[in-house]
Amino acid sequence: MTQESVLILTLAGAIGTGTPLVFAAIGGVISERAGIINLGMEGMMLIGAVTTFLVDNKTGSPLLGFIAGGIAGALLALIHATLAISLRANQIVCGLALTIFGTGLASFIGKPIEGANLEKSFNKLKIPFLSDIPAIGPVLFKQDVLVYFSWFVALLASLYLNRTRTGLSLRAVGENPATADAMGLSVVRMRYAHVIVGGLLAGFGGSYVILRIVPAWSQAGTTNGIGWIALALVVFASWRPLRVIAGAYLFGVALQANFALQAKGITVIPAEFLAMLPYLLTVVILVVLTANRRTRGAGAPAALGLPFVRDER
Amino acid sequence: MRISLERRGSVKSWHLIGVPLLSVIFGILVGGLFLEATGHNAVLVFQTMSQTSYTTLYGIGDTLAAATPLIFTALAALVAFRVNLYSIGAEGQLFVGGIFASGVGIAVGTSSSALAIPAVLIAGIVGGMVWMTLPALFRAWFGTSEIITTLMFNFVALFLMRYLIYGASTYWRDPTSTNFPQGKKLDQNAWLPRFGTQSIHWGLVLALVATIGIWFLLRKTRFGYQMKVLGDAPNAARYSGVPVKRMTFTVLIISGGLAGLAGASEVAGRAHALDPNGLAIGLGYAGIIVATLARLNPFGALIIAIGFGGLQNSASALQSLGTESVPSAIATTLQGLILLLALAGELFVRYRLKVSKRVEVSA
Repeated sequence: MTQESVLILTLAGAIGTGTPLVFAAIGGVISERAGIINLGMEGMMLIGAVTTFLVDNKTGSPLLGFIAGGIAGALLALIHATLAISLRANQIVCGLALTIFGTGLASFIGKPIEGANLEKSFNKLKIPFLSDIPAIGPVLFKQDVLVYFSWFVALLASLYLNRTRTGLSLRAVGENPATADAMGLSVVRMRYAHVIVGGLLAGFGGSYVILRIVPAWSQAGTTNGIGWIALALVVFASWRPLRVIAGAYLFGVALQANFALQAKGITVIPAEFLAMLPYLLTVVILVVLTANRRTRGAGAPAALGLPFVRDER
Repeated sequence: MRISLERRGSVKSWHLIGVPLLSVIFGILVGGLFLEATGHNAVLVFQTMSQTSYTTLYGIGDTLAAATPLIFTALAALVAFRVNLYSIGAEGQLFVGGIFASGVGIAVGTSSSALAIPAVLIAGIVGGMVWMTLPALFRAWFGTSEIITTLMFNFVALFLMRYLIYGASTYWRDPTSTNFPQGKKLDQNAWLPRFGTQSIHWGLVLALVATIGIWFLLRKTRFGYQMKVLGDAPNAARYSGVPVKRMTFTVLIISGGLAGLAGASEVAGRAHALDPNGLAIGLGYAGIIVATLARLNPFGALIIAIGFGGLQNSASALQSLGTESVPSAIATTLQGLILLLALAGELFVRYRLKVSKRVEVSA
């Protein structure tokens, strides 16, 4: 193996750092396309992470852990769906409550394993031939299987939203639920299904953090606000799954560059200021999108955040 | 048989109290079951919580001190939520309020208290307002979602605050603290005086004044009336000449000022320095919960903030509970649980369940 440059290592690391964002933000896209905003994502990721940790260490199977993490996220999303859809609660407050509840519950469950290490995880999987391409190979094709899975999920989500009948119906539900209802679609069922899938993906995101990024449970530091970045990323990617990948890796580079510079002792820009970048970038993009008359509300589902009640319009 | 929901003609007054009360009771019940299921003694836990927070003089003092910042952040949330502006930026505005307040406090601390204390408090308000300015401008004139911008600014403020203490040797850092960087102490003249037990400070009185002030603003002024119209019927407000953009901006700035005041009160009343770890405990987010449970009523928020202050306060006592240690996270879990139940219960304030018999159609 030839000497890999720092740049390539940083970029490869950025893919890893961006992967939980890919999972969670695509979950966010799917849920928001159905018209339900999910501020509970951070809580779902944490619950996903702690569940993965426990199941993985118990069974010795990272795959089972990963699946369990997704299911845990989906269960929390079911609460969100029940409150926001059936009980018509304010989605924003409800999501926040779920994040607070999820954070509390995760650190409660995780208390006995605070600081413990994850024993088994996925290894990197070199893709034959592709990983031999100079520069691109080591960055993209020497990752673990979950990274490849996240690409698959993004592609699937994109095809689903743009190329299938159900995807089209979903967009109708998010844009104009009254019309969708008149067309004979079940707004309630569609919303439930997509919020739950969104939670599943957020759970996967949390699982990835514990499996590949910080393989030790720490109540404060495990997801470290990634759920909130994912929420921003949904807007950043203007609700399109493939753009989520680009955005996630861009954020990944920003986060990774921070580690790399700190490790090298380069302090031209303080670490705290670099850490602000993803957040500031999101605000800038959002403002530019909304200030421009042409792109105002670009991609944003028109009925986002509004409850749907058939006889109260 | 078919169960459907029917909107109530009017909201019954006992529901307004009954629903939050029931959600608290259910929250404690579910939390208790959960504690028992995880091998803890639920009765002992709740006993300890009530002793450390609600039934002893010192406990009540600590609870009131813990509730003080929550009252401010709840007020901050409720003024904005009343006009359907879902700012979740109180967290960051509180940090910046704390940064401004401690900065001014360090500078003017040696002058008399009559000058230093108002200066510190005003600095906090200004700090919160400054941090809300951009999100408020973007929201009012471009329609940019205040949810995302205020949330992002929370993280920017958090990193800014960490930088000022941990990142470099700044004006805010105590120059003698090298291994464990800490904020520079304010001079005693800039401290909010304490009274009663050793933890209650004048921030609590300020919080009471702010509660009455916001109630007055909402109920007794032209501005408050316009807010009500804008909140209940935005289109009617627009057609009747309410300056929507200016109102949006002003309401958000007021919200920011209140959150900033929370930061100033914590700095001048509790830590007497800029203490990033002490400030970043989710006071801004908890304020939103308090405001929601109070159904956006200022006095309701005051009462619920005290209840929640007790929950927060009792968390640390739980960790050193006899032979078994209960994770302090149970307090956060309970807060979330109670809010989720209250949100579910809210439905029954607005709707009633209607059970109707459906004529069976034979296949």
